[in-house]
Amino acid sequence: MWCEFSMHRPPYRPALVLVFVVLGLLIAVAFNTTNRLAEAPPGRASELVDVVQELEQQREELQDRLGELRSELAVLEREAADDAGVSVSFSRELDRVRQGAGLSAVIGPGVEVLLGDGTEVASGADPNDYLIHDTDIAAVVNALFVGGAEAVEVNGERLVATTPIRCAGTTVLVNSARLGSPYVIKAIGDPAVLESAVLSDDSAALLFNTYKNQYGLQVSLIRSPQLRVDGFRGSMRSQYAKPAGGGI
Amino acid sequence: MLALVLALALGVTLGLLTNVSVPVGWLTYLGVAVLAAIDACLGGVKASLEETFDDKVFVSGFLTNTLMAAFIVYVGDQIGVRELYLAAVVAFGMRVFENLGTVRRLLFRRWGWE
Repeated sequence: MWCEFSMHRPPYRPALVLVFVVLGLLIAVAFNTTNRLAEAPPGRASELVDVVQELEQQREELQDRLGELRSELAVLEREAADDAGVSVSFSRELDRVRQGAGLSAVIGPGVEVLLGDGTEVASGADPNDYLIHDTDIAAVVNALFVGGAEAVEVNGERLVATTPIRCAGTTVLVNSARLGSPYVIKAIGDPAVLESAVLSDDSAALLFNTYKNQYGLQVSLIRSPQLRVDGFRGSMRSQYAKPAGGGI
Repeated sequence: MLALVLALALGVTLGLLTNVSVPVGWLTYLGVAVLAAIDACLGGVKASLEETFDDKVFVSGFLTNTLMAAFIVYVGDQIGVRELYLAAVVAFGMRVFENLGTVRRLLFRRWGWE
């Protein structure tokens, strides 16, 4: 039986040949699709990361521009004060308000608090215990303000009236900057008072006395005779709040 | 045999040159459909070698297998049994290898290697 049909070529019908073309097409389409998938950005999450990074870069540029404009404005105000003979007290008042608002860089004695994540996570332990959280930073900052801190910054971000300190994924958001460990908090004020304020705050003291040893966190506080805290670089424009009149 | 290889190559070339692709969400359907198509084509080759090939049976078998395979996966997605595509993959995969074995043996006999 087998010998029989090995004698002649099998009749490959046009239908079979045609369907093989279709099969080839299907395979190619699947291949194209997989290829496109590999080239395409893998999903929405990374798209959003790109968006965030782009926006952060834009913000940096805008902040730089804002800084330039502020210094230009300062020059113009001084000139205007000279020209129009506006009283010196007015521009002094302006400087004072600006400093109070945290818009200008200041120097003075104070303390520097370092908060860093623990490095080695014990097996089976909750890794969260080994991290510095937004609440830790907030506790230290609040304690510093209690101790009469006059200017505070976290990793170069000046704390002002509208500054949030909150958790943003694996980073901590201060103003609109995402910061990562280690966190360096600089505060200007009476170093001794600041130190005792931090160490007597319940939450902050836990960091220094317990967590530091238990979880290997980097926690330290040093007094410094001379610190520099830069001014707030973000925007202070208010959309809803309007002057209510009165005041100083 | 050569005609079939050429036909396959022609199809792949056409597809690659036109760079047609489907939405990413259809990829599973397409993959299973391709598997069903391979199965149907091998079945067609086998039938040719056994001289039982029939145009109507083959073309209808190709179309129903391919469409049903994709449809089963679609139904699986709709009723929340996403793994239903595994059933299609396993069933067609087994048949592909079965047919391949038969075709190989038939070809050996034809070419007098046995």
